[in-house]
Amino acid sequence: MISFESVSLDIDNSQIFSDLNLCVGKNEKLLIQGRSGIGKTTLFRLILGFDQPRSGQIKVNGQPLDKAHINQIRQQIFYLSQDIDLKDEVIIRLVTEILEFNSPRKAPLEKMNRFLTLLELPSGILQKKTRDISGGERQRLGLLIGFLLDRPIWLLDEPTSALDDAMKEKISSHILSLDKTIVIISHDPVWKNNSIIKIKRWS
Amino acid sequence: MGAQDLSIFSLGILFVFLLPILYISRHLKFGINKPIIFSMGRMCLQLGFVGLYLEFLFKLDSPWLNGVYLMMMISIACYSILKSSRLKIVLFFKPLFLALLIPFAIILLFFNGVVVHIDNLFEAKYLIPIGGMLLGNSLRSIIIGLTNFYSGLQKNEKEYLYSLSLFNNRIQALKPWFRESIVAAITPTLASMATIGLVSLPGMMTGQILGGSIPIVAIKYQIAIMVCIFYTEYFSVILSILFSLKMGFNDLDVLNTNIFAKTNLHNQGKKF
Repeated sequence: MISFESVSLDIDNSQIFSDLNLCVGKNEKLLIQGRSGIGKTTLFRLILGFDQPRSGQIKVNGQPLDKAHINQIRQQIFYLSQDIDLKDEVIIRLVTEILEFNSPRKAPLEKMNRFLTLLELPSGILQKKTRDISGGERQRLGLLIGFLLDRPIWLLDEPTSALDDAMKEKISSHILSLDKTIVIISHDPVWKNNSIIKIKRWS
Repeated sequence: MGAQDLSIFSLGILFVFLLPILYISRHLKFGINKPIIFSMGRMCLQLGFVGLYLEFLFKLDSPWLNGVYLMMMISIACYSILKSSRLKIVLFFKPLFLALLIPFAIILLFFNGVVVHIDNLFEAKYLIPIGGMLLGNSLRSIIIGLTNFYSGLQKNEKEYLYSLSLFNNRIQALKPWFRESIVAAITPTLASMATIGLVSLPGMMTGQILGGSIPIVAIKYQIAIMVCIFYTEYFSVILSILFSLKMGFNDLDVLNTNIFAKTNLHNQGKKF
């Protein structure tokens, strides 16, 4: 589903990767661990086409990341960034805008309540603005958008860092039960408590 | 009937007030005497040159020559906009030229042909001063618009990229910056439209009244010109951002980092 073929990348003259080979299969769950600052987030940025490698090739579903395929590729990927960089907007308006843009015919808003309950978000939160909610709520709002978008590939950057233990447990097991290709960057041990996830340690 | 001519001597007398200004600035070490003299000198030279040139243009009144002169004005405007917006001239000159030319030409010709009903649309007496006013005012708005747009995006790149991942559409992801820069660009004009006549009499009107027009004619022209300035600004700001996108972003819709001209600001950044 996602493949890196001898990918090298430099940013500001310092080498981030050299000759990286990586393959994530369909519906595979991969946990990437490693100390901060070694380019884990950059890996996601490369898959999304936000950064471009110096050499090598990245493919998603066999398609290369280029002008002709980028829209098709981004359409399949849900990305939860570390800071969940949502624009400042009333949440319900933002969520509706995102959903309508992605599936103009029928926005899956009816599923909203189910996911709000799962994420333990009060429905009143929808009337607030994205900048006015707490870090934990923001993280769950990011996931809510992911559930509603229902794209086949998920790239999650520290998805549970602001959640309490019970919530971490509940959300991680729910995410891992999804029929999706999921790559997670996390320092959180909660992701390791199961047998389905593959772990890749970076040094 | 026209305004009384000024002799070079009486115009020169005006500069006596420069002496106390230079004295005060020097005494209080403002360090702005050089720029004051430089700017004043430049203004006199430029306007003197334009005066001579316009006399020549008006006498000749050739539509072709007038057209070429307007193109030159647009080119200078593009150069000056890009310089102030810290954007690379080589990359953005062509899109910006078109963004200025299209609304400018349409509004200007409409004004001359449909509003004023002059027979020769390219008559120097109308084309050049009115063109200059439209262009001069759009200049400021486009600088505000482009600067806001690109510096805003550069500052909030993560937010833009995140929107891009969620919407999977560049235009949709860019909307907040679009809105913000267009509002910032036209707000000064809206404000000046709202206070015009209460606080100041605009330059064009003053000129016309001094030139012998009755106030009501001057007012009509002023209203027409304000409206035209607003239209030209509005469309040229939108077009300048839209046309610049091709250069501003790479094939994968990510902001190109090499679009900004190197400035002193860049060097200052290295100290931190």
